[in-house]
Amino acid sequence: MLALRGTDLTVNEGEFVSIVGPSGCGKSTLLYVVGGFLAARGEVTIDGAPVKGPGTDRGIVFQEYALFPWLTVHDNIAFGLERQGLAASEREKIVDRLVKVIGLGGFEKRYPRELSGGMKQRVAIARTLARDPAILLLDEPFGALDAQTREIMQDELLRIWLETRKTVLMVTHDVTEAVYLSNRICVMSARPGQIIEEFTVSFDRGRSREELVVSEQFNSIRNRVWLSVRRQALAAGEHNDEA
Amino acid sequence: MTKPDQFMFAARRGLVRVAPLILFGLIWHTICTAGVVNKDFLPAPGAVAAALADLFKGGEITKNLTITLFRAAVGLILGAACGIWIGVMMARSRHFREYVTPIVGGTYSLPKSALIPLFALWFGIGNITSIAAVFLACLLPMIVNTYHGVVTTPKVLVWSAEALGTGERELWPRIFIRNALPDIFTGLRIALGFSFVLAISAEMIASTNGIGKLIFMYGENGAYDYMFAAIACMVIVAFLADRALVILTKRLLVWHESAAAELEARRP
Repeated sequence: MLALRGTDLTVNEGEFVSIVGPSGCGKSTLLYVVGGFLAARGEVTIDGAPVKGPGTDRGIVFQEYALFPWLTVHDNIAFGLERQGLAASEREKIVDRLVKVIGLGGFEKRYPRELSGGMKQRVAIARTLARDPAILLLDEPFGALDAQTREIMQDELLRIWLETRKTVLMVTHDVTEAVYLSNRICVMSARPGQIIEEFTVSFDRGRSREELVVSEQFNSIRNRVWLSVRRQALAAGEHNDEA
Repeated sequence: MTKPDQFMFAARRGLVRVAPLILFGLIWHTICTAGVVNKDFLPAPGAVAAALADLFKGGEITKNLTITLFRAAVGLILGAACGIWIGVMMARSRHFREYVTPIVGGTYSLPKSALIPLFALWFGIGNITSIAAVFLACLLPMIVNTYHGVVTTPKVLVWSAEALGTGERELWPRIFIRNALPDIFTGLRIALGFSFVLAISAEMIASTNGIGKLIFMYGENGAYDYMFAAIACMVIVAFLADRALVILTKRLLVWHESAAAELEARRP
C-alpha cells in the first residue's frame, strides 16, 4: 500500500518543522523514512549525503516511549553512550547532567514500568539527547500523555530546543502543539500523503505560554492550520465512505 | 505493618496453604482406616511415611533419585540450549524457519513418551534413552517460546537501538534475546515439568534404575506403600524444583511486569 506520494520537504538546520494531517495519512511513515528505518522510492539527504539506514545523527522519540524495559532509567540514558565507546567517567557525567535536565534525580535506578507516562517520555528524550544527534525526529511524542502533562512536556521540549537549536522534525495530530512549538508547519493530505500546504510561524519566543496562546497572532495561525487539516480529514472521510 | 503483625500474617498465610494438604491427608487416612478400600491397594498415609523413612535409611531412594535427576537435568539443559538456538535461528533466517516450522508444528502435540520404545531400540537400556526422551520433550516448548519472544520484539525498540548506534549483530544479545527472556523462562518452566515426566516414563520402560524403575518395580511386586513413597518423593522434588525456578525467574526479571506483579501480589 502506498503511504506517501511525491513528498518533497526541505528542513533547514536549526529549524523546528511539524507535520500535521489526518490520521493514517502517512506522517509517521515520512518520519521513519527520514530516520532510515523504512526504505522508500526517492531520496533523503542530510548535508547532501544520502541516508542509507538508521544513524546516530538522527535521534528518534516515539509516542509509545520505546524505553528498554529491562534497563533502568540510568542505563536507558547511557545505552547510546555505551555503543559510542565513551569512557565510563565521561558517560556518567553526561547521564548525570541529563537526569538533572529532565528533573528525574533520584529515579536513576528505577525501571520503566515504575514510571508514569510523562516520566517515561522524559527518559526517552534524554536517551536520545545523550547521543547528541544533529536532528531530532519526534513521532507524536506527547500523544499518549494527559493534557496537563503534555503542556509541561511541550514547554520542556521548547526550552531544550531553544538551548540546543537542534533541527527538529515532529509529527503530531495536535494543531495547537504544532503552532506552539514550530517554525514551520506542513499539512499533509489523506493517504497516500502529500504535503499540500505550509505555514511559517514566527513568534517572539520570549513570551510565556499564557500570553502567547491567547494572542490574536497565535490563534489566527492556529485556525488557518486547523481548517487546512480539517479539509483533509473530511476529504479522507468521504474517500473512506466510497471505499 | 509491625514485626509481630508480619509474623502473624506469614503464619496465617502458611496455615492457609497447608490446610488443604492436611485435609487431603485426613480424608485419605479415614478412607483407609474405615475399610472403604482394600488397605493393600491404597496404603494409609502413615504406612507410606514409614516406607519413605525406610527407603531413605537404606539409601536406595537417594541413589535412584540422583540418577533420575541427572537424566532429567542433562536432557533439560541440552534441550533448553538447543531449543533457544533453534528458536533464535527461526527468527533470524527465513529459510531456516521454512524448513523447521512444519517439523515443529507436526511434532508439537505428539506425546514424546510414544517414542521411548524406539529410543530403547536405538540407544539401548539406560541413560541415553532417558536423556534423549527428556531432550526431545524439552526442545519443543523452548523453540516455540524463544521464537515467540524474539519475533514479538516491538519494532520501536529495535529502531531506537539502531538510532542509538547498535549494529545488526549487537541487536541480538542486547535487544532480541533480552526481549525474549520472559518467554524463554515460561518455556523453561514447561520444559522442567516435561523433564520429570519423560525421565520417569523412560525409566519405567527402558531402564534398570532410577525412580521410575523403582516405582514400576514396587508396583509389579505389590509393595504399594513403597510405590507410593517413591511417587511422593518425586512429587516433592518436582514441586521444589518448580518453586526454585519461579523464584529465580522473579529475581532475574524484576524489570518485567508480570514478574513484578507476582512479587507485588506476594507482598503482605
